Amino acid sequence: MLQDLLKEQKAFFKPGVHTELRGQNNRNRRVILVSGDVMANVRSDVSGISARVYRNGVWGFSSMAEYTKDAATTVLKAATENAEFMDRHAGNGKPAFPPLVGGELFKMEAFNDPAQKAYVDFAREIDAYVSAHCPNLSSRKVIATEDSMEKLLKVSDGRDAHILSPRSYIYVFLSAETPAGAPVELFKSFGGSGTFDVNFTDPSVLYAGIDRLYEQLMQKREGVYADAGEKTVILGGMMTGMLSHEAVGHTVEADLVLGGSVAAHNLNKKVASDLVTLTDFAHEAFGETCPLPVFVDDEGTEAKDVTLIKDGILTGYMNSRESALHFGMEPCGNARAWMFSDEPLIRMRNTSVHPGNDKLGDMIASIDDGYYLIESGNGQADTTGEFMFGVTMGYEIKGGKLGRALLDTTISGVAFEMLKTVDMVSDEIVWCSSGFCGKKQPMPVGMGGPALRCKVKIGGR
Amino acid sequence: MDKMNETAKMILAEAKKYGADYAQCTVSESEKKEFNVDGGQFSLMRTLFNRNIIITVLKEQRKGTVQINRFDEDAVKAAVADAIAASDSGMADPAWEFAQGPVEESYEEGMPKCDTDRLFMRTKELLETIREKHPKILIEQMITEHNAARTVFMSTKDVCYRTRSGSYSFELMYSAHEGEKSSSFYGSNVTLKTLDKPVIECALIERELTAVEQQLDPMQLEGKFVGPAILAPMALAEIVIETMMDNFVGDMGLIDGTSIWKDKLGQEVADPAFSLSFEPFSEDVVIGEHYTSEGYLTKNYDLIRNGKLMSFALSQYGANKTGGKRAGNQSGNMMIMSGKETLEQMIKEIEKGILVMRFSGGQPAPSGEFSGVAKNSFLIENGKIAGALSETMISGCVPEMLKQIRGISSDVMKDGNVRLPYVAFEGITISGK
Repeated sequence: MLQDLLKEQKAFFKPGVHTELRGQNNRNRRVILVSGDVMANVRSDVSGISARVYRNGVWGFSSMAEYTKDAATTVLKAATENAEFMDRHAGNGKPAFPPLVGGELFKMEAFNDPAQKAYVDFAREIDAYVSAHCPNLSSRKVIATEDSMEKLLKVSDGRDAHILSPRSYIYVFLSAETPAGAPVELFKSFGGSGTFDVNFTDPSVLYAGIDRLYEQLMQKREGVYADAGEKTVILGGMMTGMLSHEAVGHTVEADLVLGGSVAAHNLNKKVASDLVTLTDFAHEAFGETCPLPVFVDDEGTEAKDVTLIKDGILTGYMNSRESALHFGMEPCGNARAWMFSDEPLIRMRNTSVHPGNDKLGDMIASIDDGYYLIESGNGQADTTGEFMFGVTMGYEIKGGKLGRALLDTTISGVAFEMLKTVDMVSDEIVWCSSGFCGKKQPMPVGMGGPALRCKVKIGGR
Repeated sequence: MDKMNETAKMILAEAKKYGADYAQCTVSESEKKEFNVDGGQFSLMRTLFNRNIIITVLKEQRKGTVQINRFDEDAVKAAVADAIAASDSGMADPAWEFAQGPVEESYEEGMPKCDTDRLFMRTKELLETIREKHPKILIEQMITEHNAARTVFMSTKDVCYRTRSGSYSFELMYSAHEGEKSSSFYGSNVTLKTLDKPVIECALIERELTAVEQQLDPMQLEGKFVGPAILAPMALAEIVIETMMDNFVGDMGLIDGTSIWKDKLGQEVADPAFSLSFEPFSEDVVIGEHYTSEGYLTKNYDLIRNGKLMSFALSQYGANKTGGKRAGNQSGNMMIMSGKETLEQMIKEIEKGILVMRFSGGQPAPSGEFSGVAKNSFLIENGKIAGALSETMISGCVPEMLKQIRGISSDVMKDGNVRLPYVAFEGITISGK
């Protein structure tokens, strides 16, 4: 745990100049078993301190890989000099930020640090189960991991904070071959917010999920290629989460709006069907704690939800304090940094489409010829809203019933056009939090949603 | 460097005290100066002082690795104890093997000292040149930086490398805009040793900016056809090289047995015109890799020569696991042999096809099959660029494509790390609405 060495440093903040000072530790524990062999057995602890100073519309930043009072003094001085350099050469005279409510915020979850043996032993138990119960695999991989952040923040105005954000996961990858000898793969992640010892006490809790994964892989190895073209599909909750994040979320990050994203011309316009409401949740959603709760950001802004689309109308952007001032919006705590050496960027927290009233079974029954797309390997989107997701698991729908499994494919479309085709929304939400969002820096994010019936372009062979 | 040497020696001595059979460490210090442009405006200047230590120990063939970024004695000793504990908790694997000395080498590369004023000047000049020559381009983000690093690698097998390096890099993310019309975003990158000429003249930056400006009025392709695709250097790397490295020739695919090329060594896997090598010692590389993470000295190597698979991209661990041979380096600096025709001539010979600058696709399947969106792309008709395309998907199979190469350009992209031409492949499924 970081000791508070920064309190006295606030006395050195220049009056009237927005200043942030952040001490941070990122720890990572990782064990990778490939077909039973330990391929990686790694522990990492990276800590340090950074300062950021705002002056007439430009920023100076500096960091040191050292968490001491001397380092705090050094980075404050260097960040100030950098802000002065920028102001001298490229300052644009923008005004200071409107003040925020001050105070302190502490979120100190259990922050145990299990020995590496705990990760190795748990991964070995899972691997032994897969080996014993999943015949005809060409390979198997089990990853046990924790990546956690601890931040101690002092700001010239806004919330000072000391926040612990642990998360831990088990990933299971299974590979098999199609009858023609082509390899196929599926994976599933287990876990979420919390340290490894809290999330993983009993390997048998994972067995049902592994059995289901294996069953799907066996179906996939007998799978067929999707028929390319525009189709009516059901996107499962995980796919909706990917859509919420990649295809809509990024385009409404205010820095990307300023960079020319499609959302720049669509505020307060119809971008989706009336059934679609999309929110970037801070720490609570639909009466429950979010997968990765955020209470304050790295600019000292207390975190609140941001409604991005309300009943099909684009209603807001996610902002930093600087972009909020530009757009005349309220900053809601989206400015977050990954490492001590990173500056805060506008990032999503827990982004999800709201549930509707339809039953998944009815939605499938309503399609005569289409697809039910469940799992996504990865996704990318353009600032135009044009998106592409890999689909790693899905089924045909024929005559209102699920048919054969699909081999790997992709779907694509333009978000604000595709969302207008949504005509059914399921009443259940699925969340995912095991991945990283990539921007200038990685960042853990939660994403989720209900199943959606819509039209998308699917890639075939 | 003295302090770093002492820290490295202390780590090895401490590991031996704990009974490690082998230990190695990388101790490094780095400094970064960086300018950021966001939404076309200067936004941020950063100065980062970083440190890093990576310790790997082997005890009874059980491996443990720890990374920290503190240099104080207590933290370093605790990290060694942590690495030993990680090793104790693991399982023995006879395949772990590291370089045997004696070897002691020092390298100095690039430009270790940053000229901050000149870096700012070149950044400003690039921004102003783009505004003037490419007025429709909006820079979403530009990051320009100088990275300097000093590193000591030391092992208990009498291996020691010391490096001092520095380089400048420019990364631009941009799109074209006119009223409410906009193109897809595109990224251009270059790594440079010196700042002796305008950055817009480096790599393919000028050509790429011009192409993106021509993508404001994309057309929708109707229907689907199978035809040739010219992959520009970055699309070539994303579709073909990544698929090959991740699935066919790297440690993972060969160790787990899913590589479809596992029995193809020495056999023809591509058209005879296709040669791919990894050359950290090429004059086109600003900062080359001199040793591997297992401590072995590197050398250039051919992965595919004249269509024949000459080597896998294995580490020593991967080689021991599979009965193969360690590759000459860690496969970072890819070089594809250029052809004789210009890009223009290649386009002239195509009746109907597509030129793909960027690919947005799912992770390639282990079989090499892929599908995804052809971004920043142009339709080719009757030997000419007929216009930019939107929402066009392409799909194919990398191992089949490699055997259906119809041309490799003489134009190459040299970005300080890689050297790649444009390559035209037959048999790509191209589908629109």
